Amino acid sequence: MRSYFALMRGSYMIGLVYRFGFLFSIAGNIIYMSVTYFLWHSIYQGKATIHGLTFDQTYTYVALGSAVFILLKTYVDWQMSFDIREGMIAAYLIKPIDLQLYELFTSFGSFLMSLSAITIPTVLLLIIVFRIQIPLGLGLILFPFSLILAYLLGFCFDYFTGLLGFYTESIWGLSITKDIIVMVLSGALIPLQFFPTVIQKILLWLPFQAIYYTPLTMAAQPMLSWETFLSMLAVQIFWVITLFTLTRLFYNQAVKVLRISGG
Amino acid sequence: MSLIHVEHLSKHFKVLNRREGLSGAFRDLFSGNYRTVKAVEDISFDIEAGEIVGYIGPNGAGKSTTIKMMTGILKPTDGTLQVNGLVPYNNRIHQAQIMGVVFGQRSQLWWDLPVIESFKILKEIYKVDQATFDKHMNLFNELVGLKSLYSQQVRTLSLGQRMLCDITASFLHNPQIVFLDEPTIGLDISIKAKIRSVIKELNQIHNTTIILTTHDLGDVEALCRRIIIIDKGKILYDGDIKKVNALFGAYRTLKLQIDNFSESTLTDLRTDLAKHFDVDHGIVVAQTEEFWTDVTIDQAHTPLSDVLNFVMSGFPVSDVRIVEISMENVVQRVYDGALG
Repeated sequence: MRSYFALMRGSYMIGLVYRFGFLFSIAGNIIYMSVTYFLWHSIYQGKATIHGLTFDQTYTYVALGSAVFILLKTYVDWQMSFDIREGMIAAYLIKPIDLQLYELFTSFGSFLMSLSAITIPTVLLLIIVFRIQIPLGLGLILFPFSLILAYLLGFCFDYFTGLLGFYTESIWGLSITKDIIVMVLSGALIPLQFFPTVIQKILLWLPFQAIYYTPLTMAAQPMLSWETFLSMLAVQIFWVITLFTLTRLFYNQAVKVLRISGG
Repeated sequence: MSLIHVEHLSKHFKVLNRREGLSGAFRDLFSGNYRTVKAVEDISFDIEAGEIVGYIGPNGAGKSTTIKMMTGILKPTDGTLQVNGLVPYNNRIHQAQIMGVVFGQRSQLWWDLPVIESFKILKEIYKVDQATFDKHMNLFNELVGLKSLYSQQVRTLSLGQRMLCDITASFLHNPQIVFLDEPTIGLDISIKAKIRSVIKELNQIHNTTIILTTHDLGDVEALCRRIIIIDKGKILYDGDIKKVNALFGAYRTLKLQIDNFSESTLTDLRTDLAKHFDVDHGIVVAQTEEFWTDVTIDQAHTPLSDVLNFVMSGFPVSDVRIVEISMENVVQRVYDGALG
């Protein structure tokens, strides 16, 4: 495992090299979240709750949602597609490392990087400026665990899309489609409570909601019962194991059709 | 049992037949019109531990495909391939530990990080212990003198420096086999010489087997005892370099720019050279590009300097270049039966 931690450390360091990048990211985040604040503020004008959620709950959900969305963007699919087209994938495959774990740990390094340099500063700033009352409770303690599980799930979708690049070489369209599907069905755009009941029920059976809806609900409604939280975490763990296994099996198929161009 | 055993190995790719133009590109979206490209077709050879083998051929000959099969990245379509007694494709991670690879056209180092960080990451990936790592780094520093580059970002290195770092990286875990894919591409003469001497020493120190693919026949002459020539996926020649040396080692092309050039200059040059040197002198005069007259000389028969002096004294030469024979030329000569 030491080799994978070395890779993770490396990609964390690469993040540090481009320090101006995260200054702009923080600025962009703040602008986006301010716009969202005023948008939802006017939606809640004169109403205490909508669909049973208070303004603070909804805003915490939506604001955290966009912060988490940026955080969970692994870019693994884009990176893999680039590496396949340029033939760089060969450089990874000649090393005694597992491709899935290589991609996971490299992207996790940048995840930790953007968590510490972008997300945490942005969230702290928003709490201070807009005086958001983040409700305290058990959910807040479980939130980090849920977030990491969510990251692993998001990674599986991106890695799967990246592997499709072994077949199609370019994954531009596939990747955009995947982003939209995940964003809508996972509750990253709006809370799942805003969907019709039938669709809500279907969505709860799919892995998407475990990416955004689960961690965001924990943060926005931390006073739910601990049984609810435990079952939410169990569902996440179930999907992580399932999708990890499926993508591993898919890799074994995909690598057979691999063609490496150039050189 | 030899270190690398290749028997009747083939690799075929299915490639979509692409049509021309925008409308063609649209129609290709729904096309199932594939053709099979035989990148490697029925090749066999054995390589022993400690050998330096030149694996050469023109572009698209199948060199890289063979290397990718030997490193376990690509699955052969047909035939037997064993490296150190194992099938590379089925044991990729295990086999990677005993191999090192340098791709001349792309770096394996971490582009945005200082050089030393890449080495440290590779140290962990290949599970090299600290004492061995230090010993190796000292050795490389003696051979190459890279210490001053350690804190530089890889992307700021010159091509030659980067290549030296890449070669160092590929030997870091003391592999049994190192594949060097075009290690001197785009480099100037002095760096080329340095890279060649480093490769030679590393081969001798640890008895590392080296498989070198290159376009530069100078690399092959300087490093290899044995060469394998491949073209269109098939092996044309496999054996001692001495026999092939005559094909490219001794030939040089003298490119001349002659003032007031006309058709008769070419015939004059031909007859004058034939008169002055033996009839069986092996000198060929031709014009391959505008303004340049090519005089190809077999140095085994006639010293290049003699020809140069003779031409300079008799013709108004304004510019001279000396060119080594090209890979395409060598392959053409092999086809023409030059190896008997």
